[in-house]
Amino acid sequence: MSTEIKILKQVLSNYSKPMTLNYPSAVSPDRKYSQIPAGLRGIPERDNDKCIGCRACYFVCSGRATSIYDSDAKRKVEIFLFRCTFCAHCQEACPEEAIKMTDKFEIAVAKREDPSARVVTELDLLKCKICGTPYASKKFVDRAYERLMEKIDQKVKETVSSDFKKVDGYCPDCRRANGVGFDTHTKKHVWLEGA
Amino acid sequence: MIDPIFTIVSLVLIIPIALFLGVIYQYFFRKLSARFQWRVGPMLRMYGDLKPLLGTTRLLQPLYDILKLFGKKTVVPEVSRKKLFVSSPYLSLLFAILAVLFIPFPGMPLLSEAPYSLIIASYLLIASILFTILGPVASGSPWAAIGARREVELFLVSELGFVLSVFSVAIARQTLVIWEISKGEQTLYLALLSVTAGALMLAAMMGKLHIKPFDMPEAEAEIVAGPYTEYSGKLLGTYYLTKVFMLYALVGLFISVFLPPLASSILWLPLYIVAALLILFLLTAVQVLNPRYRIKNAINWYLKVLAILAVVNFVIAVYIWLVL
Amino acid sequence: MKFSADPNIVDFVKKEIYADGLEYTPLRENRVAIKVKPEELDKLAELFMKKFEARLIHATAVDLEVQGFEVLNIYDFSKVKERLVVILKAKVDKDNPSFPSVAKVTWQATWAEREIKELLGLNPVGIPDPRHQFLPHEWPNAVESGLTGGQYKFESGSQTKEMYLPLKMPIEESYQSLIPIGPYHPGVIEGQIVYVKVEGEQVVAADIKTGFHHRGIMKLIERRGYNKGVFVAERVCGICSAAHGLTYVTCAENLYDAEVPDRAMYIRTLLVELNRMHSHLLWVGVVADVIGWKTGFMLTWGLRERVMDIIEAITGNRVNYGIWRMGGVSRDVSQELAAKARRTVDALKEECGKLLTLVAEHPVVKSRLIGVGPLTKAQAFDGGAVGPVARASNWKIDVRADNPPHAMYDPKVISWEVITDDNCDTYGRTLVRVKELLVSCGIVSQCLDYLAKTTGEVRIKPKTVPAGAEAVGLNEAPRGELAYYMRASEKDSNLPHAIRIRTPSYRNNAIIPLMLVGSNLADVPVVMGSTDQCLACTDRVEIIDEKTGSRKSLTWDMLVNLSRRLSKQ
Repeated sequence: MSTEIKILKQVLSNYSKPMTLNYPSAVSPDRKYSQIPAGLRGIPERDNDKCIGCRACYFVCSGRATSIYDSDAKRKVEIFLFRCTFCAHCQEACPEEAIKMTDKFEIAVAKREDPSARVVTELDLLKCKICGTPYASKKFVDRAYERLMEKIDQKVKETVSSDFKKVDGYCPDCRRANGVGFDTHTKKHVWLEGA
Repeated sequence: MIDPIFTIVSLVLIIPIALFLGVIYQYFFRKLSARFQWRVGPMLRMYGDLKPLLGTTRLLQPLYDILKLFGKKTVVPEVSRKKLFVSSPYLSLLFAILAVLFIPFPGMPLLSEAPYSLIIASYLLIASILFTILGPVASGSPWAAIGARREVELFLVSELGFVLSVFSVAIARQTLVIWEISKGEQTLYLALLSVTAGALMLAAMMGKLHIKPFDMPEAEAEIVAGPYTEYSGKLLGTYYLTKVFMLYALVGLFISVFLPPLASSILWLPLYIVAALLILFLLTAVQVLNPRYRIKNAINWYLKVLAILAVVNFVIAVYIWLVL
Repeated sequence: MKFSADPNIVDFVKKEIYADGLEYTPLRENRVAIKVKPEELDKLAELFMKKFEARLIHATAVDLEVQGFEVLNIYDFSKVKERLVVILKAKVDKDNPSFPSVAKVTWQATWAEREIKELLGLNPVGIPDPRHQFLPHEWPNAVESGLTGGQYKFESGSQTKEMYLPLKMPIEESYQSLIPIGPYHPGVIEGQIVYVKVEGEQVVAADIKTGFHHRGIMKLIERRGYNKGVFVAERVCGICSAAHGLTYVTCAENLYDAEVPDRAMYIRTLLVELNRMHSHLLWVGVVADVIGWKTGFMLTWGLRERVMDIIEAITGNRVNYGIWRMGGVSRDVSQELAAKARRTVDALKEECGKLLTLVAEHPVVKSRLIGVGPLTKAQAFDGGAVGPVARASNWKIDVRADNPPHAMYDPKVISWEVITDDNCDTYGRTLVRVKELLVSCGIVSQCLDYLAKTTGEVRIKPKTVPAGAEAVGLNEAPRGELAYYMRASEKDSNLPHAIRIRTPSYRNNAIIPLMLVGSNLADVPVVMGSTDQCLACTDRVEIIDEKTGSRKSLTWDMLVNLSRRLSKQ
């Protein structure tokens, strides 16, 4: 009997403090969710200025939410939020720290085609000077050059820089095919070791 | 003195009143049980920012639920006996409404002045429940069959309690007219009888209204929706409507039989509502505190309660009748 | 902490357990793979189960392409030697793919061998229950073998007419009726059918059919590789996602010489225990709901929300945490957060203790649970019960104590105990879960204390997985023992050759019919719920091998057309 009385007490004390919220009204300006913690992994957001279109996020995405569409002169990097599992693996993989998880979590839209269901970044693609196929985004090549210059040994810096300029603008295939004509230095690694 | 015009007008009026009050009772029941369960429940007053989307209140939520069903497609299973399957909900509703006419409302004696109105009202309530069993049996679903079987067992024992409690009051008051019972003055012994017989009546109401722990006919975890498994659309809506009237009728009968003179005059209306809400509060408390019994346990429980309370009732009733 | 093999383990196994194997391979963490002849499998099963009281963890098979199949029986010897797991491997020809059934010896292997038979086309000789496991019972046999590998050609002319009857319990008397509970039923949230034959409300026979829930999870992991696979593994089950994540990384780390930082081990333990807390709260709520007590359901689920909030604050997600990585975890728990969570957990522990006692001691709840779904210790051993179901039958098995995963369960560092109960019924299972929840609270507090005081790295870069490595990962999920078996590719590849998952519900679901017979119809959902069944776990498999045979696959449009045509008829 005492258990029943305890339950009755508990049940009556429940009256004043309901645990549920009226969902949509809880997002209105006057009533905010109290439960959003600081580290919530919500919708990923991409910084368009930082993104270089390197495809690292595409390779690590387990849910295949990230896809790359290369059209004529544009590369579209896209996260389809309906497939996204908010695992933040792309955030870890991004070399430029362009992807960040936000604390927004409401992704419901009426149609799959709705633009708010996608996180899109568009980048300019470079076209090969010989064959005309787009091969990499401009930002990617620039950033690669920058990084190369940062890390490389002082002795070979100038040579590498001039070599880079020579092959810039050609797709990998054409670069291979026309390798002799570029007249690049082949012994960089030897110099690097100081031989 | 019976005024025919007033009676006819009140007979027409009582149906919307009963519907409205039944809905309010159900709202109260749902709201209270929600709050006891750490939930918000249907809204009394909508938050300002939701008003354009959802309206100002969810007070009539039980009614909306029923109206929604009336807008849905009705499916009649091929294996069912169609005439019985289709007509049962309507007959059930009809008898529930007829029962409502025999139960006085403050200021409106209705047909409760008729001789033997207590017996008529009891039988009408029984008939209404009977058709909530017959329709499902005709549906040909195994779930409905088991649900109906449980309903019959439960109905038999709870009906016994209902009859014993109501008629012990009739013995004490020496009348079978509800109106006269509800007008009668209270004495100490009659009040005592009201308490014991009222307790028995509450127990019977739990079975009739499927309040937990006696909701095994509708135990969704075991037998889907029990008797109502094959019902949909308008027919299901009709059954739900029956439940609304039944709730009003049982609460009204309780007040007029056990709590006179609350149902006798329009002046008592506020107290009538308070008493009704109190009864509902008791029912809600039982509902939220208990899990569902097995049918066997339920029958044992009823027989135990019946045996004790019915004897006490009759001793008091006969004492009032013979000695006082 | 570094995880490596005991160098003397092969000698120990040879000396103490079995000396006549063809080849012994030591694996990391006291696991030994023994190659044996296929004819010996059932004798060995008898020897292991009777003499050493070893537990069969899983029986499965791997397709080795042109070399044939390899049948694997994985046994747990943790009662003989700490962390010892023996994998018996028997190579079976593709021309005559039959091997003696272990299910003759111990009933618990039945489901596993039905699965092998059905999905790889092997033939376990003498299996007591040869019906289909995942395909419909009435599916003709010939088609099924045509699906597996391509060497059994399906010819429409010589089609086998043999069809298995859907059920082994025909209606004999007119007063009996057959009631299907499922596949879509309010008492069972996920898809499965339990057929119960009732006389009045008394259950006289019961049978279970699974296979409504295929998602091909194991194949998905095999195609994704080790790093991406963990996210898929987490999604085998939504409720015990932490357990799956931990078991996956434990198994994958056993493929190479792994090193995991201490702090990561504590975070892993913390998450798994929080996960266990919310899973057990969920279970108590579900049982309360099934016996019709909505209030009990709301109360426990209200508490569960608060556990979920802690998890959300720690990992950033509520259900699939996504922080498991090989060699650690992806996210640190800050000291302030740990201290704050510690306070919340303390308050929660008190409230859980109070509320759950109320639920467990409610007289009507008690009357609905005591004596319902009885399962003796002997039945549990033969049926292969795991987790709380086994412990409620007074059988003290807990992977955390016997064969711990790569998380901090060291009794020297964290004090905790294995809960058992001798009620052997649904009430016992309730008590075990309620007590375990409080034990979990204690473990969580200790982990949070450690995290609040110290700092350190949480992740060490994984090494390359050697070709052909094998590993077993075990963990105590909220529902019981969860086992992963992984085999790395023979080629130097980032993709695993095979992954097998044996979930706890796979075992506990199989013994449901045993517990059902003799109960009241009103108790059927309670008994089914008492194993905390998780059908998403049970039906996770798809081992149809596409490497060796060409298989016609349906395109989306064809499927749509097919369904439309069918629906028109």
